[in-house]
Amino acid sequence: MTAPECGRMSLVDLSDYAAGDLPEAEAAAVEEHLFACTDCARRAAELDALVRGIRSAARSAEVGGFVTDDILNRLARDGVRVRTFTLLPGAIVPCAVWDDDDVMALRLRGDFGDASEITLSQRVAGAEVVRATGQIAPSPNGEVIHAVPAGWIRQLPVVDVEILLTTPESGGEREIGRYTLAHGGTMHR
Amino acid sequence: MPDARASSLDAVTDEALARAIAAGAAGSTDAEEAELYRRFAPRVRLYGRRHLHDGASADDLAQDVLLRTIERLRAGEVRRPEEIGSFILGTSRMMAHGERRVARRRDALAARFMDRSMETPPPSAAALDAPRVAECLHALPERDRLVVLLTFYADREAPRIAEDLRVKPGAVRAIRHRAMTRLRDCVLGGARP
Repeated sequence: MTAPECGRMSLVDLSDYAAGDLPEAEAAAVEEHLFACTDCARRAAELDALVRGIRSAARSAEVGGFVTDDILNRLARDGVRVRTFTLLPGAIVPCAVWDDDDVMALRLRGDFGDASEITLSQRVAGAEVVRATGQIAPSPNGEVIHAVPAGWIRQLPVVDVEILLTTPESGGEREIGRYTLAHGGTMHR
Repeated sequence: MPDARASSLDAVTDEALARAIAAGAAGSTDAEEAELYRRFAPRVRLYGRRHLHDGASADDLAQDVLLRTIERLRAGEVRRPEEIGSFILGTSRMMAHGERRVARRRDALAARFMDRSMETPPPSAAALDAPRVAECLHALPERDRLVVLLTFYADREAPRIAEDLRVKPGAVRAIRHRAMTRLRDCVLGGARP
């Protein structure tokens, strides 16, 4: 007969522990159990593998999407090369990535008002290639940061990349800003 | 180096592993040491994440704690091998407090007691396919992905994340729960992103 598996800690419970969300006494109780329980140890190993995978994936610069300065700072600490462009609404900015850049970070500024949901649409030669919608809060200086793997930019020909930020408002969409990156190709050192 | 014996160690209890390492001559229990590492390193890393707030330091802590444990087993200084889990937790607590001493000691202990190849965590703990994880992360809703990355990559705690995202700390926790479950299903369960 097989003993019933201990179900005291799920992956989600353990993620609260690892994230530092549990009060000290509760965290200590988790530790006492975890170091004595084989079943919960298996779930800990699963979470540990997942967290390590998240860190590797982030460092690989292939994830992309909306990020914050905390994430960009961490990438920089990990030796990931980040090329940053700050864009005001209506801006047409010459853009090129070097052959050893890993990530392109676009700081998109605009009048966000009370926007709680933002949609980013990215078009190349008229075709939408990226569409991202999320409940993203702009930073206090009125910008959101969108990260793009530099490898994706490098494979583009000389072309304009058009970016549109919108937010839902009054049953429709309000434009926050429209930006153009005039991509001039890859630069070599 | 771990050898074919490693696969037969799955069913061995933690106590038996500890006793085998304690009784074995140096160099004769590599498989048992690797198995002990495989079992406990993930738990020590989570402990390190919780207390050191830094993934890289947590990696170092796991290595140091397990090296110290093997050293103490070999020296006959673990009085109750049946409570090896408690011993490792106690060692984790002690070494997390003395984090600064760790780097110096690691090299000395590794040179004395352990095959250098064990410094690389075993595949089960280290080798989730990064492109697959990236694909699954990318498939998460934007805010969910941001919470996961801020928590487990940028090492930010819930109150700080809540401030940045303009939500309550409780909401950060709820978002993280949902995101981690989806990510686990996608990465480990093979679900389509």
